Amino acid sequence: MSSDSPRLRLEAENVGYTYPGEPPTRALEGLTLSVADNEFVALLGPVGCGKTTLLRIFAGFLTPSQGSVRCDGASVDGPSWQRGYVLQESSIFPWMSVRENLEFGLVAKGMEPEARRARSDELLHLLGLSSFEAAYPKQLSSGMSKMVEVARVLATDPSMLLLDEPFGALDAQTRARMQDELAGLWEQRRKTVVFVTHDVEEALYLADRIVVLTARPGHVKQQFKVTLPRPRSLETRFAPEFAALKRQVWEVI
Amino acid sequence: MVRQRFWLGSSSLVVLVLAYTLLSNAYRFFEVSKLPEPIGSALQPDVLPPTQAIVQAVVDLIKGPGAQPPPDEPAHMHHHQHSSDHVGVLLQQGVTLQASLAITIARVLFGMVVGAPLGILIGLLMGLSRRTDDYVHPVYVLVRSVPPLAFITYIMLWLGHTEAHRLIPIVYAVAATMVIPTYHGVRDLASTYLVAARSLGARGWLLMRRVLLPAAGPAVLSGLRYALAIAWMTAVGAEMLMAENGMGNLIVGGGMWASRLQTRSDPAVVMVGILALAIAGWLMDSGARLLTIRLTRWAR
Amino acid sequence: MSLVQRNRIKRALISLGTIAVVYGVAAEVGRYVLPHRIWMDVHYIDNVELLPTYRSLAEEMAFLLQSWILPDSILVSTGRILAGFVLGAATGIAVGLATGRAARLEYLADPWMMLLRFTPALALLPLYVIWFGYGEASKILLIATSVAVVVMLGAHHAVRGVPQVYLDAARALGASPRLIFRKVVLPAAFPQIFASLRVALGLAWVTIVVAELIDAKMPSLGYLLALSGAYPRVPQMLIGLGTIAALVFLSDMLALSLHAKVTRWMRRTG
Repeated sequence: MSSDSPRLRLEAENVGYTYPGEPPTRALEGLTLSVADNEFVALLGPVGCGKTTLLRIFAGFLTPSQGSVRCDGASVDGPSWQRGYVLQESSIFPWMSVRENLEFGLVAKGMEPEARRARSDELLHLLGLSSFEAAYPKQLSSGMSKMVEVARVLATDPSMLLLDEPFGALDAQTRARMQDELAGLWEQRRKTVVFVTHDVEEALYLADRIVVLTARPGHVKQQFKVTLPRPRSLETRFAPEFAALKRQVWEVI
Repeated sequence: MVRQRFWLGSSSLVVLVLAYTLLSNAYRFFEVSKLPEPIGSALQPDVLPPTQAIVQAVVDLIKGPGAQPPPDEPAHMHHHQHSSDHVGVLLQQGVTLQASLAITIARVLFGMVVGAPLGILIGLLMGLSRRTDDYVHPVYVLVRSVPPLAFITYIMLWLGHTEAHRLIPIVYAVAATMVIPTYHGVRDLASTYLVAARSLGARGWLLMRRVLLPAAGPAVLSGLRYALAIAWMTAVGAEMLMAENGMGNLIVGGGMWASRLQTRSDPAVVMVGILALAIAGWLMDSGARLLTIRLTRWAR
Repeated sequence: MSLVQRNRIKRALISLGTIAVVYGVAAEVGRYVLPHRIWMDVHYIDNVELLPTYRSLAEEMAFLLQSWILPDSILVSTGRILAGFVLGAATGIAVGLATGRAARLEYLADPWMMLLRFTPALALLPLYVIWFGYGEASKILLIATSVAVVVMLGAHHAVRGVPQVYLDAARALGASPRLIFRKVVLPAAFPQIFASLRVALGLAWVTIVVAELIDAKMPSLGYLLALSGAYPRVPQMLIGLGTIAALVFLSDMLALSLHAKVTRWMRRTG
């Protein structure tokens, strides 16, 4: 294995997916895409282009109707904590407190209570949620709720993250802050990330590579390498390269 | 606002009871049969039992067989001013209000305890596996289209007049009622959480206990409340048709099976029965409601 | 038709078909194995076919159709349900809307609603028989009562459950309370009212079957189920059960499709 071509974590080849119904909906068709190790890929596309479907396939909840999907060389066979998945809808467990939510993945792993507590303390502190550790989801704002969901998935320290428009429901300021948090986390502990969004700026800010999908049935329209320097900051948003790239991407969408 | 609710509610209760007492006792004060139909016959004590008669019936039915003077005394025949002597017949059979209520409640509870887990299990299996759902759902829809009590005569041919023959429709009714809320809870309510939990590595028992159960819980609990009401209705109906004890029997008057309704029953007894059933049902439902609230505090 | 739907139909046919076959076999075996003399409280009855074979069922069906017993029974029972349902639904909706709209009315009606709600409808039957005689009136009114109680609660909660945002928005646009009620509350409450109508329909069926069983007279579906007469004809009972099941199923399907059509605006597309 050569040292300058990083191994591929996810490989989708000619993937198609059709939802049953009257009439059936072809969400994806002929989609070929690969994601390299520790790469941050943003999936961009219009509403209904199959981004969520693709992510679900990567996460192991759907099997492609055509084509194949491989993760680390093997075919995807159901969900796994190694492919941490944050859904678009709210999925924080309302019957558990914030801390219990954060520790859930660790419980599944069989971790001891003390170790779990240490890790959840770490996460609470990292995201500034320490005062909310005993709160229940109904007491949280949607922004905080989403933060907990992302932190919950980070708790088990998976090497791959699949995020489906996680910040879509947040207001502009919270979203900017969350983007910073995510970018910061990624700097600290590199992971392979597939991030779905319809916000071009968000994609440019966070990703190494932007994949633009067509409308339904979705396949890859064009890909962009985001050459903006890391680590990214507020300054990056005002840099001329940012605007130039933004223009390029907009022209394709 | 709560105060207004209380006062308005109680006053309407009091007013109607008073009005009823006046109406039902009207025959004492003037010749009601002279009034035009149907008011004339409606005001007869046979049809609208005076309030005192109702109270008397309650007292007698609670006191039991000891309270009744010996059957050949003439005073006894006019005890309730009713020709059928419904109360007398019941007391002779050893029926009391409390005992009947207890028996009906026991049947209801039996139906819940046996039927609910059955229905929940089926709903669970159908909700979790699309394959099972495809096989079982059509059968379920067809089977549950038959009202539970409709089976009772057929079951009697097989089992005779046994307790089982009365309990089976109740169990069946509860089970059939619990399938859909459970199914809905698992399929619709829990699905998002199940996805998130599985992506965190949860499987098997952990998934069931800490995700599926709490997520589907509220739907199942409200289904249980509804199933309780259904169980009451089925139990009373089964008793009216085929039992010699329980509230249903009390209301119908303990006649022979073939002609349960032919003996003219005393409306006072029927009203007592209805009141008792309503109060008992309300109490049990309130209990169920409080339990639901306690168990789902996280949802409010 | 997609694979999923094809599978669904295939599996449904498999399970229903299996049951049909198993029953047929059991019935044939039962002819030799099951008792033919049943003890019925006071005497024995002969010639009882506990598990009627398909042949017996077919013969009985032919008889019931030819003698017009089955169609008559269906008409009579369905007629009662229809009459009771319409009466009860109209009353229930009217009262439920009224109490939903005016809190004071609700408080006044509260104790009576509680009482009626927890009274099993069947318990009222003897009372209605005393008041209205043995004829149609008592049965129809019984159904009407049970339907009305359910629908009233449904309508009440539906009106109460209309999201405040709609009301506020309407008021901000200057609409009068009457207009708001007609054009905002009613349409918003409609789906839930419809749902309670569907529940009430199922309840009506349950009620009429038992009422007809208790007071079994021809022609009625309940009579088909009863153990009256010299001996019970099991094929007749099973056909009665089947007919009732079919009617309940059909009426529910009808209600469901009506519901779907009417609430199309409520479902999110896409």
